Amino acid sequence: MANSVFGPIPNREVHEGFMRKAIEMAELALASDETPVGCVFVHKGEIIGRGINGTNASLNGTRHAEFVALAEIMAKHPQSILKDTDLYVTVEPCIMCASALRQYGIRAVYFGCLNDRFGGCGGVMQIHSDKSVDPPYPVYGGLFREEAIMLLRRFYVQENEKAPEPKPKKNRELKTEILPVNVATPAASKPSTPMPQG
Amino acid sequence: MASPVDSKAPKDFDVAPKSRMVHLKTKEETRQGNETIKVWTVELPSQDSVDLQHLRRFAKPKYLPQHVIGQRDLVKEMYAIPRAWESTPLAVMQAPATTVWEYSTPAKLRSSNRPPTLHLLICPVHVIALADLHSLLLDRVPFCSSADSWAYPLQIKQVTVPLLAPTSPEQADAWSSDYWPTFYRKTNPFGAHPATIAKAEDDLQRPATGNLGVEKAMTLAKKAGIETQCRDYGIGPGCVIMERADNVTEIIAVAGDARQKPLLGGSGIPGGQGGCNGNIMGHAVMRAVGMIGRKRLRVATPLISGRAAKAERNFENCGLDHDEKARDAFFLDLPITPLEEQYFVKDNIKPDGYLCLRLEVFLTHEPCMMCSMALVHSRVGRVIFANRIPQTGGLTAEMIRNDSGPVGLGYGLCWRKELNWQFMCWEYIEPKNKDTGNVDQDNKAEAGGGELKLMLNDNNANVSSFASTHV
Repeated sequence: MANSVFGPIPNREVHEGFMRKAIEMAELALASDETPVGCVFVHKGEIIGRGINGTNASLNGTRHAEFVALAEIMAKHPQSILKDTDLYVTVEPCIMCASALRQYGIRAVYFGCLNDRFGGCGGVMQIHSDKSVDPPYPVYGGLFREEAIMLLRRFYVQENEKAPEPKPKKNRELKTEILPVNVATPAASKPSTPMPQG
Repeated sequence: MASPVDSKAPKDFDVAPKSRMVHLKTKEETRQGNETIKVWTVELPSQDSVDLQHLRRFAKPKYLPQHVIGQRDLVKEMYAIPRAWESTPLAVMQAPATTVWEYSTPAKLRSSNRPPTLHLLICPVHVIALADLHSLLLDRVPFCSSADSWAYPLQIKQVTVPLLAPTSPEQADAWSSDYWPTFYRKTNPFGAHPATIAKAEDDLQRPATGNLGVEKAMTLAKKAGIETQCRDYGIGPGCVIMERADNVTEIIAVAGDARQKPLLGGSGIPGGQGGCNGNIMGHAVMRAVGMIGRKRLRVATPLISGRAAKAERNFENCGLDHDEKARDAFFLDLPITPLEEQYFVKDNIKPDGYLCLRLEVFLTHEPCMMCSMALVHSRVGRVIFANRIPQTGGLTAEMIRNDSGPVGLGYGLCWRKELNWQFMCWEYIEPKNKDTGNVDQDNKAEAGGGELKLMLNDNNANVSSFASTHV
């Protein structure tokens, strides 16, 4: 099920170029102690919106990177531009964002790694393709998947001071082994990294 | 056993000589606690095993359905007759409450509380083939012949039993008579604990003086939706979010749907040309949740607000545009009607709380998948919605009902084990006789708290005109 979103991607190099921009956003976020998820929206080869998580700034658990980028787009463009726009995001959109993107009419979504905690495009649910009143959108996963996972792992080995009661994480060490996507057992095909809440 | 005649006793009698009766333990009771038996146990991964804790391992025939017991078998009966007379001499005892002495046998007494046979649930049929199980048991007492006993007839039956635990005593009773003696453990393994649900329903249907009940909260949610609709901002849904701190309720956010409110980008009504979805961020739930974040920022202690400000600067560090007006117009997390304003300006939220942790949410309509997941992300505690939205709603777990047809997509996001948060959720049924001016006392009492039903038990779908719209 989840593996179906890791199929071959036509013109992979082009998409890798945009995913590189999304990874750069995530790197910037990590440098600022923010959950390292980054995204860019691309319209006709041009980046029209970029985002990182905004949950810590807004104390709003729904202010995900996709929404921050959409706010930038909507400030300058009509909403209909999204019908010809693709999203590149380092981590699979969550169920909430997957539904929002479908309602906004996004053209396609490219992502790095799956979100096995609450992914909406294959990780936990298939919001992009389930029966719905809105047209489905195609999803392509696995672009710089290892880098996307490593960004999250690097974030989680840091002490998370925002937790209500900080727990010692002295024993946490940075794991570098990443299992390939096409392992036979379903449990092993998921990245073992805890996913961000935002 | 501690003796009553120990060194302490005289002292106690000096202080307070109280008579006391201690009931003697029966022979069986004293036996119970100190007799043990060695058994084989084995540890196995729970994910690979079938957990049948809700079923009796040993069942008395009288509690089994007839189809499980099967035909009368004389050979079995012969074997199972108590043969105590063979070895135990007759005893003479006095019958209780009479002075008559009569003959009795211990075996006869025992037979009254212990059935001659028991039925053992062995294991799921896929674990071992029937032939293998048969030969395994034939080698063992009582199914094998030996010097001092003859073989009890081995008859292995395949029986259908419920795989999962029952969620109510009625269900356990029904399953016991249809399948196999089943336990109900006064808990619900598939949802909130029944006592927690009952407490919540009590809080909401019989609010303490000064607290907000479900009926008033729902009326306010409806009003919020109408107010934005009147201004052509939205299509009618409304949302009220309440905090319950130290048993006192406070309305902390009120928001109406505002998906049609024009954005700054000059595109007029959002989504005007390409369908009627509008600005998805304008859904009532998203707006109310956003307003709570705003309020939290406002009342935060310096530590928390300092962290938020630092996070805000990250946007600049990452080279993101910082057009506050455009952002506000998109997210719509500021009040846009006097009613919303009235509740937004109050600093009535407990400072430094986490997102919408355990808050209570009242909705005129079942939220869409985006809004349902937003409630999960926000860690809300209780959600009550009035109208099911079968084609887009994200909370209903059922899909089809016999009487009313399709009732939902079946996502049931309020309680999914695979997600990291669950909350209680009810469908709200409007009080009856709402439009009748003169309601007599009885009816009033009946309709008083509104009808609050757990979604899964309800059989009264309320399909509104929003059927194919995300709410």
